[in-house]
Amino acid sequence: MAQKNIQRKKILLVDDEQALRDMVSSFLREGGFTNIQTAGTVKQALAAAKDWQPELMILDVMLPDGDGFSLFEKLRGFSEAPVLFLTARGEDADRLRGLGLGADDYMVKPFLPQELLLRVSNILRRYYKEEPATVELAGSTIDFARAEVIKDGERLPLTAKEYAILQALCRNAGRIVTIDGLCEAAWGDNPYGYENSLMAHIRRIREKIEKSPSKPVSLLTVKGLGYKLILK
Amino acid sequence: MRSIAKLIRRFAAILAVSTLLVLVLNFVILLVITLRVTPSGAPWTLARETVAALQKTGDRYVLPDSASAALQAENAWAIYIDNATMTVVWHTENLPPEIPMQYTVSDIAALTRGYLQDYPTTTGESEEGLLVVGFPKDRYWKHLYPLWDLDFIRNAPYIVLAVLAINVALIFLIYIIANTRLLKSVKPIADGIRMLPSGEDVYVKEKGLLSDLAADINHTSALLRTQQRELRKKESARANWITGVSHDIRTPLSMVMGYAGQLEESPDLPEADRKKAAVIRQQSVKMKNLVNDLNLASKLEYNMQPLHLEAVSPVSVARQCAADFINADLDGDYPLTWVCDEQAEAVRINGDRDLLHRAVQNLLSNAKVHNPDGCRVSVRVAADKSTCRIAVEDDGFGITDAQLHALQNTPHYMMSDGSTTEPRHGLGLLIVRQIVQAHGGAVAFSHGKNGGFCVEMSFPVVGTANA
Repeated sequence: MAQKNIQRKKILLVDDEQALRDMVSSFLREGGFTNIQTAGTVKQALAAAKDWQPELMILDVMLPDGDGFSLFEKLRGFSEAPVLFLTARGEDADRLRGLGLGADDYMVKPFLPQELLLRVSNILRRYYKEEPATVELAGSTIDFARAEVIKDGERLPLTAKEYAILQALCRNAGRIVTIDGLCEAAWGDNPYGYENSLMAHIRRIREKIEKSPSKPVSLLTVKGLGYKLILK
Repeated sequence: MRSIAKLIRRFAAILAVSTLLVLVLNFVILLVITLRVTPSGAPWTLARETVAALQKTGDRYVLPDSASAALQAENAWAIYIDNATMTVVWHTENLPPEIPMQYTVSDIAALTRGYLQDYPTTTGESEEGLLVVGFPKDRYWKHLYPLWDLDFIRNAPYIVLAVLAINVALIFLIYIIANTRLLKSVKPIADGIRMLPSGEDVYVKEKGLLSDLAADINHTSALLRTQQRELRKKESARANWITGVSHDIRTPLSMVMGYAGQLEESPDLPEADRKKAAVIRQQSVKMKNLVNDLNLASKLEYNMQPLHLEAVSPVSVARQCAADFINADLDGDYPLTWVCDEQAEAVRINGDRDLLHRAVQNLLSNAKVHNPDGCRVSVRVAADKSTCRIAVEDDGFGITDAQLHALQNTPHYMMSDGSTTEPRHGLGLLIVRQIVQAHGGAVAFSHGKNGGFCVEMSFPVVGTANA
């Protein structure tokens, strides 16, 4: 259900190249997104955004009658919809400027269609809170909506930190999330020096989600690097 | 300033030696002249020898021929005055007519001390009389009052030394004053010349003795600055050009990559065509990486890449790269070993997180690219108080000694003006080297312990987590 909701969201694509607009539209359509409009100039983009109220905007930085950064600032005047910059400008300064303005993501051309689809889906899911509500593990189920773990019919509440850590692991399920990445998810921007606390939290999470916490099968340690959550 | 001090010492030494030489030379010349002008038969000796030679036979005095010859050689005349009568009892044939024959005691005193009728005279005594030798009027000058203070004569050596010392001191004083002024005008010029290579703005006041030189230095400095500006302009033009090209190529490449990716996934295409699309997609990804590398390498080379420096945990950066590497290795062909010592966990280096990430990532993907059939990879992070080292090693094919030597010693073709026909290696390692250098670190390439390739980057530590 969740994926369907996301795919119905309205996407406005702004790029000065007709060929690129066509290509990106076709990718999005193939990816299941059906509600797509395009614009080639700042003027068209502003008009479309006002009339149509898109729920995600993909913006190029270089446009014939202005630049994407200032377009973004104008759009923010009346729309809170998430924005993904898709541009040929790959400089750090540009990327930082885009993200600094409050864009949700920044992609540099050239790109692979799958990457675009993944990023678009991620933004939409994050923004419209369409994270999967429950996650099935080998020995338990995590219910993110209620911040609980269901093990053997028993409901165990998750603390805020445990919730944040599990969410970060879930988003990268099957992949290693580094110690630093998990600390950042739980403690924010300056995550240094929380390694020991993290280990304590992981131990407590294991007690909640694993059948036998001393022999974990869902939340695995990758020695020295980080942790990995294995879904059922 | 070292060279100026050396110059002063050298000048002073030359001055001391030359003063000494002048003194020695003066003494020698004085000695030679004195010996030359003083004949063997000095005037007083001649008188003494003549009176000794004078023989009395009865009432007559006779001078032997040898003594006569000595007198004649000097063109001198002689008289012999008897003590008792005070009259001339003998004289030479050439006696001038104006010489008196009778003398008083005061006459004797006068002629002994000075002249007789303007003839310079010397005397020689015997028991019975006094012999007077008269020389031609223009032959000698007599010092009439040869009387000296005894103390003065006793102290003469000291006085001579004192006079010499005063002379030497005076010479040095004149030298020092003259040189101080010279050095005063040399110093700004020397400073200016020393500053020139630093590339700073050099200006020397154009006045004083060496104003010409100062003007030349100012001119040179201006020229250097212009050249630097021009060079910088050219470099940024080149970097901008590369940025522009890499920017312009991105949009068309997007289409190639995008559609190739789409075709690769398309279920309507036969397997063979999908494979072809996959090759196009893979190659366009390579092109994309190349374009990005080229852009970054040129920016780093010309210092146009802004560094966002902050206190970075090298372990955190390396850990992220290692995790990404493992996450991307779906087939498990590249097992990664992570080694990290406790000290390294705590240290911080002053770095640009993204660039450091890029460096480690480049090394890891290098291992993958050069060992397509898989290999073991290890990432080691170690630190002491001053240095943090990140090493990436594989046990793959490795490189030959010649390749290693070339890697260590020859500049990358992109930065070299030499022949470009030699085998080229990619930009990956060049970027690693540039990033490490931009962080004030060092990079070392070597053979891996198990035959593969090993790169170790070391960075200066700026602090620890607890500090």
